[in-house]
Amino acid sequence: MSDNDDEELGALFRAAASDPGAPAPRFDHDSVVSASRRATVRRRVAVAGSAVVLLAVAGVGAAVTLPGSLRGDDTTVAAPMLAPAPAAAPGARQDAAPGADARAEGAAPPLGPVGRPLGPGTTECADRQDPALRTLVEEVLPAVRDASEAATTMECRPAGERGVNVEIDDGGATGLLAVQYLPPGTIVALVPGAVSAPTASGGTVIVSSRPAEVGAPAPFEDRLTSVAGFLAPRL
Amino acid sequence: MRAATEQDAVRKEGNPRVDDAGEQKFVAETFEEYFRARRDAVRRTAYLLCGDWHHADDHAQAAFVALHRHWRRIRDRGALDAWMRRTLVRAVVDESRRPWRRERATAEPADTGVPARADTVATRHVLVDGLRAVPPRQRAVLVLRFLDGLDVAATAAALGCTEGTVKSQTAHGLAALRTVLGDSLDDLRTTGSG
Repeated sequence: MSDNDDEELGALFRAAASDPGAPAPRFDHDSVVSASRRATVRRRVAVAGSAVVLLAVAGVGAAVTLPGSLRGDDTTVAAPMLAPAPAAAPGARQDAAPGADARAEGAAPPLGPVGRPLGPGTTECADRQDPALRTLVEEVLPAVRDASEAATTMECRPAGERGVNVEIDDGGATGLLAVQYLPPGTIVALVPGAVSAPTASGGTVIVSSRPAEVGAPAPFEDRLTSVAGFLAPRL
Repeated sequence: MRAATEQDAVRKEGNPRVDDAGEQKFVAETFEEYFRARRDAVRRTAYLLCGDWHHADDHAQAAFVALHRHWRRIRDRGALDAWMRRTLVRAVVDESRRPWRRERATAEPADTGVPARADTVATRHVLVDGLRAVPPRQRAVLVLRFLDGLDVAATAAALGCTEGTVKSQTAHGLAALRTVLGDSLDDLRTTGSG
């Protein structure tokens, strides 16, 4: 292709993009700053909320266990309440703690508290990064905690879809990790390499990973199944 | 592979908190200055990437919001445009890949009828419709190269791929555009450059 061709195509593209009938921008500087601050607040609230839930669960466990101890009973009420309690369960929370490796593929996923599933999110037009979902993803993939958010789209989510997209580094394998929750009734057609699982709320969770460079290994590609398995009962 | 400048564009520093009020003001002013200088250009790029002004606004605003959230941690201000382009392209490509919100099927080709003397409006609409029928990644290469005027190396850096990929995607993209528009592309080129 010659330089002349490039110039002609450039003129054509510029003409196409210079639409005098284009609608006025629907956003300005102030709306961008406001949306940025709201997103930051949502993220902080989600992190704080996650910590509160963990503390509450720990508190309930202690409170329920204590009466049994005072009675001199060897068993606790908490055990049946929190059953099934396989041998690995007591250490599960430690597995999820920073520094611990909770990543063994094929092993049971870290057993964080599985309370009421998140289900659909808000239906507002908002940042695509979902703080509550990100908190869950960070729990199963601690590397996400330090990951930067990937490109986000301010969009409407009429059915309450949730999504998290982060730029992630898996020991040098860099790329995009995408986790999407689709509400019940959504027809799913997976892209190649993506992993899906039905969720507790009747929706679908989809986990995919894409390398930064074509042909390179995708980060955490061997963990997508376990991540989906961890998230499914929580969504 | 991403260019080092892009990787450096947004990164965490040891202490990102800016306590000094004067510096906060400076940070706010520099972002506003960049926003006002680049908003229209970013909108135009987003428009050709997605073919719809409303979606273009969504993508452009989201990119600026993401940029604002990282603004204090940006080291290489010279890489801002590349970062914004990459953010836009990835958002549009990701959206097109999303299984529950596909783009308009390419089985509905654009109306390729172009008047003998195509006016500017016809040129614009035919090309935009034609671009929507080009696969998203190839479309992104065409937009960055011919709208934003990036060379092969800069396009590769913006998209995080090799220069060879950019060359092949350019060829495939133009071929796809020509398939959709037929001889109209050549007519448009004459009109657009005239």
